This record gives sequence, structure tokens and C-alpha cells, in this order.
Amino acid sequence: MTPLVSVSNLRVAFRLGRESTVEAVRGVSFDIPANTTVALVGESGSGKTVSAMSILRLLVAHPGRLRQIRGRDITAVFQEPMTSLNPVFTVGDQIAEVLQLHRGLPRRQAFEQTADLLHEVGIPEPRARVSAYPHELSGGQQQRVMIAMAIANQPKLLIADEPTTALDVTIQRQVLELIARLRERHRMSVLFISHDLALVGEIADQVVVMRDGEVQEHGPVERIFRAPQHPYTKGLLACRPRLDVRPRRLPVIDDFMRSTEPKDPGPLERPSEASTVVEAKGLRKEFRLKTGLFSSKALHAVREVSFSLARGRTVGLVGESGSGKTTVGMLLMRLLDASAGEVRFEGTDLLALSDRQMMAYRRRIQVVFQNPYASLNPRFTIGQMLTEPMRVHRLGANETDRAERARRLLQRVELPPESFHKYPHEFSGGQRQRIAIARALAVEPEVLICDESVSALDVSVQATVLNLLLDLQEEQGLAYLFISHDLAVVKYMADEILVMREGEVVERGPSEALFRAPRHDYTKNLLGAIPRGIEGRV
Amino acid sequence: MVPTLAGVILLVFFLFKYFGGDPAEILGGLLATPEQIESIREQLGLNRPVWQQLWIFVQQIATFDWGRSWATSEAVSHIFATRLPATLTVMIPILVLEIALAIPLALGVAYVRGTLTDRGIMVLTTVALSISFLVYIIVGQWLFGFYLGWFPVQGWSDSFLVNLSRYAVLPIVLAVLVGLAPQTRLYRSFFLDEIGHDYVRTARAKGLSEQRIMLKHVLRNAMIPILTNVAVVLPGVFIGSFLIEVFFSIPGLGREVLLAVNRSDYPVIQAVTVYLAALTMVINLLADVLYKVVDPRVVLK
Amino acid sequence: MSAVIPAPQLPAPAPARSPGVWRAAWQRLRHDRVGMACLMIVGAFAVLILIATLGLIAADWQREVGLPYAPPAFVGPDRDEAQQAIAAPKGPPVDLSDVDPLAPRYAEWRERAARFQTAETVKSPTLPFGGDRLGRDVLAKAIKGAQISIFVGVFAALLATLIGTVLGALGGYVGGKVGDFLEWVYNVFTSIPDILLIFAFAAVFGRGIETVILILGLAGWTGMYRQVRAEYIKHRTREYVRAAEAIGVSHRARMFVHILPNVSHVILVRLSLLVVGFIKAEVILSFLGLGVPVDQVSWGTMLAEANVELVLGKWWQLAAATAFMATFVTAFSLLTDALRDALDPKLR
Repeated sequence: MTPLVSVSNLRVAFRLGRESTVEAVRGVSFDIPANTTVALVGESGSGKTVSAMSILRLLVAHPGRLRQIRGRDITAVFQEPMTSLNPVFTVGDQIAEVLQLHRGLPRRQAFEQTADLLHEVGIPEPRARVSAYPHELSGGQQQRVMIAMAIANQPKLLIADEPTTALDVTIQRQVLELIARLRERHRMSVLFISHDLALVGEIADQVVVMRDGEVQEHGPVERIFRAPQHPYTKGLLACRPRLDVRPRRLPVIDDFMRSTEPKDPGPLERPSEASTVVEAKGLRKEFRLKTGLFSSKALHAVREVSFSLARGRTVGLVGESGSGKTTVGMLLMRLLDASAGEVRFEGTDLLALSDRQMMAYRRRIQVVFQNPYASLNPRFTIGQMLTEPMRVHRLGANETDRAERARRLLQRVELPPESFHKYPHEFSGGQRQRIAIARALAVEPEVLICDESVSALDVSVQATVLNLLLDLQEEQGLAYLFISHDLAVVKYMADEILVMREGEVVERGPSEALFRAPRHDYTKNLLGAIPRGIEGRV
Repeated sequence: MVPTLAGVILLVFFLFKYFGGDPAEILGGLLATPEQIESIREQLGLNRPVWQQLWIFVQQIATFDWGRSWATSEAVSHIFATRLPATLTVMIPILVLEIALAIPLALGVAYVRGTLTDRGIMVLTTVALSISFLVYIIVGQWLFGFYLGWFPVQGWSDSFLVNLSRYAVLPIVLAVLVGLAPQTRLYRSFFLDEIGHDYVRTARAKGLSEQRIMLKHVLRNAMIPILTNVAVVLPGVFIGSFLIEVFFSIPGLGREVLLAVNRSDYPVIQAVTVYLAALTMVINLLADVLYKVVDPRVVLK
Repeated sequence: MSAVIPAPQLPAPAPARSPGVWRAAWQRLRHDRVGMACLMIVGAFAVLILIATLGLIAADWQREVGLPYAPPAFVGPDRDEAQQAIAAPKGPPVDLSDVDPLAPRYAEWRERAARFQTAETVKSPTLPFGGDRLGRDVLAKAIKGAQISIFVGVFAALLATLIGTVLGALGGYVGGKVGDFLEWVYNVFTSIPDILLIFAFAAVFGRGIETVILILGLAGWTGMYRQVRAEYIKHRTREYVRAAEAIGVSHRARMFVHILPNVSHVILVRLSLLVVGFIKAEVILSFLGLGVPVDQVSWGTMLAEANVELVLGKWWQLAAATAFMATFVTAFSLLTDALRDALDPKLR
């Protein structure tokens, strides 16, 4: 059987300056058979998106012919549904446009079909939603609208570029199921692009693993998962934290690439009895939204959150966007003022201290943020960044001493000492996150808040940073508040977990017990939505 | 809005009160005796406490009674009524033509973005913009009015139609030609901003032609910043292109204000400033309503 | 693309010496041929102005070195015009001494005047770029005018930048009541059309170079304020500033040590735009007689004279002022564009 689309020896280069070019895709070949889901998997910079978009661009040389194929035979869904929809037209307008364009339907008929399409992708009250604007829909609904637009003309191929990455995990699951169902019903092929191998395992028939613009491995999904051949694939599969075991150390891709398969490091050992450092009681935060000149509405970002952090142990805070988990972290270190509640640091209520008194405690609680690009000041050298906190807190005898300490910190987070004189833009995401950790450690804190600290990193890098965090905790007896939307990572890191939704803690407990026997429906929902690779086929 | 207007009133009042010259001396002229000056001070209420003077000032604004111009004794309200029509006769066509021409031009330039044509036009507009507006008027008036004799060099009549068809043509053409370059550049940047957005990629993936993407999706979104820009320049219409009025002897508000500045005729300057500020606020309010039409995301309170 | 984070395994090209942001921008600018050419032109103007300020050239621009309206050297002396200018009245000379009461003292005055007139300069029939109504060298005037116009433009822009940056930083970083107050001030200033604001200031402050700088600075800071404020609002909640707060860095240090360097490129580009805008504004103000005083020369006062001259066919003063101004402003504008590209490579 001839494949629907055949990509052979695709090369794409981008011009960087006047002379230099960089090759993003280097001789990629793969086939997309009819009625099949093919997944392109790879970390950032692997060339997966560029390869897929090339199908839309290069299939036919003549632009006129290409336009006939685009939107009719081949359609696309993108990562950010909010920005991918035109904000000033109704969703009905935007869907009807493809029907009018490719099928020549009159306007009224096109709008009627639009309502049917919205119904098919599972949008409630489709008749009314036809005249809604994109901003009036939720993120999940916006992505459904994109999908409705994509299937409107019964395409042969749907290219889905990270269609669920911007969505919450529960919504992700729904959208994934929708794509699988539609593929079945419309007998089309799907080219599914993702960085998440576990997610791909749930939907793909064929998997193409890419790295640095080249195909590493390519085959049916069962084989990729059950008997991976290439060490890179093996590494990708192994370095995600698993829900069933908690090893002392996560395997990293480098181990596999050096073909020294890591031996079993044994289970992670946790101190059971530990002294409490910080205790949060009844934390509350309300934002006032101005609704009119004199009226305002209270928005409860956090209500009645209590927990305690102990030396050498980790509390995990998990929840979807808008759950208030990040706000809790901010309240704890007074980056935001709490509306009510107390934070007791060895008995002293931090929220009652003056700014001057608070300074002493600022040193003892530190934070590592999510975005490794935004959290380092681009105009500071790494050296300035690491010595500044010491200077503020009068650590170290003099500048030479502080520089010496900074160099030791760099060594501790496994960065070369030359980094001292460099600027942040010269480092990769993972390295930057190490710098951010080093900066937090510069003041020798006792509590470290990790706010989505590994969420923006590729899985292979994630594992190395998680390993570093665990090592540091063991060495220095740090107490962690680990905030993340990623249940697998929280499960791996935390001893106790708080599940948050809309500012409230809906369930809490030791992480093993919580995962084994969740009681609250929301927790069950969350756990059910975790991508599980081949075991979780939709 | 109310606080802003109050701010403008305070700014104008204190600016002229503490930084301007003594009104009595300006009014009295060089030959006034101290007694005369004192009587003028009394008449203007300059000897009363500051808050009372401010109150008089506010009353003048509220009752539209500004008294008379110090230089010509013409009632300030009369100045407004007689000078504004001339200004609007020139300025409204300029504004309308500028926008009507700049949008398609900018759309065209944005369509060929990155090509030699685009870059050529950009360099050309940069050079054109670097020459003072004055030079264009001086040369234009000399060339078309004086040398070629296509248009009257200057003049104005009492008939609106004669003005529009005869005297206003050259000023309007010159102003539009000069204004087109910056306006086109600005609108082009608006269009380019929009082209960078993800929804354009979606439109391409739908199979829409580039022309249709520009004319439907991009144009509609770019109308939002264009509207903002028009709202910003609109109040300027009322003061007019004062340079044009000076060169072509058009009896408009802009020229009147300039004369007032040269004569230190404070009532005229103050009145124009306060009322134009009020007008600006009304225009902003209207623009807010228009936003609702252009941008569905805007919610009116 | 997905979250764009290069994998650490990728060997990052490691330069021997780490370039800071400014150094990297300079490297990019050096590869911009148009930008470098413009930088040289602007540099040449800067040198010219420096020399003129030191009084080495164009210091004697007020000397009447040529005949009135002496044409440029490359046009050659205009015989008809020269004849007309000194055309003697026709008819026999009339002796007015019996009707003129001052006639007896003429000789005495002439004698006195002769004592001061040490040397009668020979008035040249042509000048390098022509002469004006009084026979002053247009080239010297254009150079001196460049000095004044650019000086006014640059200092007014610096003043507006100072006001706009300080207020914008305060408004954006502090917010709250202070921010509301500054927004109110901003609204007040922007609700009055720019030109009217300038006129109002001109009406109360009078004339003079310092006054023009003050007027333009006071009327033109709002755009800078708006942009700096927006940048500060954006950066205030950035994670690097949050991290500094977590460390305990003071507000002032966060505002000026952490955030300011990160918005400085925005300020620099805006400053360059202001310079161009203010040079044009100065030209117009001086033309209208609201700018530099009469004993000074700027491109604007030159154009004011040129208006009348053009009708008489004396085009050179207009051409000289326009050429100087166009060259400088074009070069400066293109340099600003190049600077923006160099400072923000994402924009390309």
C-alpha cells in the first residue's frame, strides 16, 4: 500500500546572519500511511515541528496548488489555541471560512455546518457558540474549535503540533481522546508532534524519535515501548519519573548514550522523623478585582492552606493552572502579602515581622522559579549574580572570599568555574536552572521553594536537575516545598502531597498512599489523566 | 476624565499665574502709569487671594465667558466661532485623505515586506521625513503657487465652496503629501506586528490566499492600533496645521493661537488650551465606544 | 515549536571572552553597513560641532564677507543682480545740504566713523555656498546653525528622557497611589495637543536657547514616560526581579541596578527618536520666532529667511539649510534603526 505522505531525505536550514546557516533538519525520512497516527517525538531543537511544517509548505511547489491542499486535504492544529484563533472574528466565522473557501458553500449553509462541527468536537450549546468570540471560550474549548476547523473539510491528514502542551492535564486527556475518536470516524491520518513520549504512547500507531534534526529510531509503537533499540529512545523512556518505583537516582540520557546502562540505584531513603522548620497555618489570599468605580469583587486565590515543612523532607503542592499553588509559595516568603494566616519559622510568625526583621529570614527561605530564561538578570554575569546575595546578607569576609564561595557553588551544581565571568544567554535551559539553584544556595538557606522549577525543561534535563536537587537535600538537610502541575515529578520528589483546586486543598496525604488510594474525585481525575505510555492507550 | 480636566485647569492657571508675565503690565503696555496698572489689576481681580482668582477662572470656563482678547478686544468666543470653520475646512480633508491613502499604501508595503521595493520605500520615507515640513511648504508654495501658477499663493474667501475648491487645494495637497510618509510607516509597522501573530499561520494553514489574509484577517486586527492613532491625532485637527495657516494666510485657529502667543494674549491661549483638552477627552470617550465595535475583547463599563 | 530550550548536550559555542549585551550589540552594529556609514556621518557632524563650539570655524558667521545675496561659487557671480543691487539713482545728483539740518555735521561724523573703520573689507562677489541678505556666508551659517539646532535637539531630548525615565520608573515600579498620581499628570499633559502645550509654555517662558530646551523637554517627556512605565510594569513581576526580592535586595537597587539596565536599550532608542523630533521642532519654533533669539542662527531661522529669498530666486540659503538638516537627520534616523536592530536581534 502506498503511503499517504512520504517524506524522504528532508533537509531544512535557517539563515542566521549574512553568511552562517544552521541546519535544523538533516535528512529526515518517514512515511505516513493512510488512516494511521504517526507521532514525531523529540526534545526541543530536535526539528520535529520544522519537519511537520515542511509538509504543509513543500508538498507542492506551486503556491496555488498548495493552497488547494492546505485546509482541505491537510490541516493543522497548533500549540497555543488562544493566539492561533483570530481574536476579532467569531468562531463561527472562522470555521465557516474554510467551508466557504474549499467547498464553495453559501454562507448560511456553512454556518449551519459549523454548528454541527462544534457539536461533534464536544462544545456544549453549539448553536449559541457559533457567534462566540475566541476569548469567551476556555483554553480547552478553543483547542476544540481549532480541531473543528481542521476536520471541517474531511482532511486526509491532520497535523497536530503539540496540541495539548498548553492545556491542563485533565483537559489534555479529553483533547487526546477527541483526536483519537475523530481520526477513527473520519478515517484520516494524524501526524502528532510532541515532546512527551508517554503521551505519544497513548495515541500513536507509529513513532518517529527525533534528535538534533535526525531520526534516531522509527517503528510501531509497541516495539518502541517494549523493545527500544536506540540508546536515546531507551534513555527517554527511562528518565521520566515512574509512578510505581522511587529510585535513589533517576537514570539520565547520558548514561544510555555512553552505553553504560545504569545499574539499579536502589530505592530512595527518606528521613522519617524530622524537626519542623516552617509551619503555615490557615493561609489566605484574596485579590480585589475592580468591577466598577466603587464596586469590587473578591477573588479567592488561596483559602485556608496549612502545612509544615521539615528538615530533609519535601512537601509537594500539585494542581492545575489557577489552583493557587504558586500563590502559596509567594505567600510563604512574603513576595505577596497574605490576607490572613501565619507562617511560623521556628516559631516566629514571618507575616507579622517588619521588613527589617524579615531580612534575617529572607536568607533562610529561598526560591527557584520555573522559567530559566526569565529568572536570571540578563545584564549580570554569573559571578555578580552569585555574590550579590552574599553581599546583601553580609556573608563572606570580603569580595575575594565571596568570589571563592561563588566558585565553590558553581562546582557544586556541576558547572565549570569559567562560568563565573559569563552571562546567562551563554547557557542552556538546564544550566541556567543550575545557576538559579546556586544563587538560592548562596545564602545558605534552610528552606527551598521550587516553583515549577523543572517544568520548562526537556525530560532528559529534568532528570539531571531533579537528581541535583535530591543530592543537595541529602547533603544539607534542606526542606523543600515542591510546586508543580506534573504529578509524576511531584510523586517522585515529595514525601507528603497537597492537591489544590481553586485555592483549596482538596486532598492531602503521604505521596504513596495518595497515589495508591485517592479519595477525592478530583484527585482521581488528575491521576487518571497522567499519560502512561503504551499502558494508557486511548 | 473629570480629574484630568481639573488637572488641565490647574496646570493652565498656575502656569500663567506664576510663570507668565504680569497681565496688568502686558495689558497696560509700556506707557501705563502705576495707577492705571493698579486699576487693571483691580479689574482682573489680580489683587484677590489665589483661590478666588482660581474660582473666577473656573467660572469663566463653565460659562464659556472668557471676556475679550487683550490685543484686539475681540470676544474670545467670537474668535472661536469665526476661526474654527477655516481650520476645519483645511484639516478634515487632510485627515480623511491621509488615512484613506495611508491604509492601502501601508497594506501594500506590508504585503511586499522584506523585498527590495519595501526597503526602497522605507529608505525613501526616512529621507523624506528628515526634511523639515517647512521646506516642503516653502518649495511647494513657491513652485505650484508662484512659479507654475496653478493655485493661488494665498487667500481666503467667505464662501465655503470657493475656499474648498480654490484656496484650500494647495495646502491640503501639500499637507497630505508630507503626512503620508510617516503615516504609511506607522501603519506598516501595525500590519507587520499583526502578520507575526499565530492566527496568520492558522489562516495560511486553512489555505487562504495571502491577499485574503491581509485584507480580512490582518486588516481587521490592525484597525485597533490605527483607531488609537487616529484618536491621538484627531484633537490636533482643531488647532490645525498652524504652519499651513501661517503660510497660506488662512484665518484659522492655529494662526490665531500663534498670533496670541506672539502678543502674549493670555485669554486666547488659555481658552484654546482648556477647551481642546476637554475636546480630547470627549474624543477619547468616543474612541472607547468605537473600540467596542472593532475589538470584541473590549468590555465597556 | 514547543518550549524552546536547547538540550544541554548540544555543545554551545563558547567564545573565549564573554561578550556582555552592549558588546554583542556593538558587534552586530559593526556588521550593519548602513548603520556604520550613518554612524560616521553623525560622528562627522559631532566633530564639526565640536570645532564650531571651540570657535575654530564659523565663529565669524555674522561678518558680512560677501555682497548681499552673493551667489555660490559654483554658480558664479551674477552680473545683473550685482548691478541692480548697487544701481545708482538716475538723474543729476541733488544737493540737499540746504534742506537737511544735519548736513553741516556729516563731515565730522564721517571723520569719526573713519577712526573705527580700520579696514574696509573687500566684499567678495561669490561665496562658497552663497551669501544671505547681508552678505553673510551661508556655509558658515549652516555650520553654526547645525551647532545650535543639534545642541537644542540633544539637550531637550536628554531633559525629556530624564523626566520620562524617572517618572516612568516610579510609576511602573511603585504603582499604587504614586502610580495613579503620575498617570493623572500624564493624562493632563497628553490631553493638550503637543503643539498647543509648546505654544502655552512659549507664551509664558519667553525666548532663548535654554528656554527652547526647557519647553521641548517639558512638553515631550510623555512618550518616554509611557514606554518606561510599561517596561517597568513588565519587568517588575519578572522572575529575576522576584528572585532579587527573595534575596532581600532593596527597592532602589531593584529599580536601578536590576531593571534599569534591562530597559536601557528601549530608553536609548526612544532618546534617539526624540533627538530627531526635537531638532525638527526647534526648526519650526525658530522659524515662527519662538525659538532661538535673533542674534543666533539655527536651521529654523535660516529657513525663515529663505522663505522670502526663494521668491527673489535666491535659493542657496534654503538649499544649504535643507541639505545640512536632511543629511544629519537621515543619518541619525537610520542609525537609530540600526541601533534598534543591534540591540534587539529578535525584531528582525
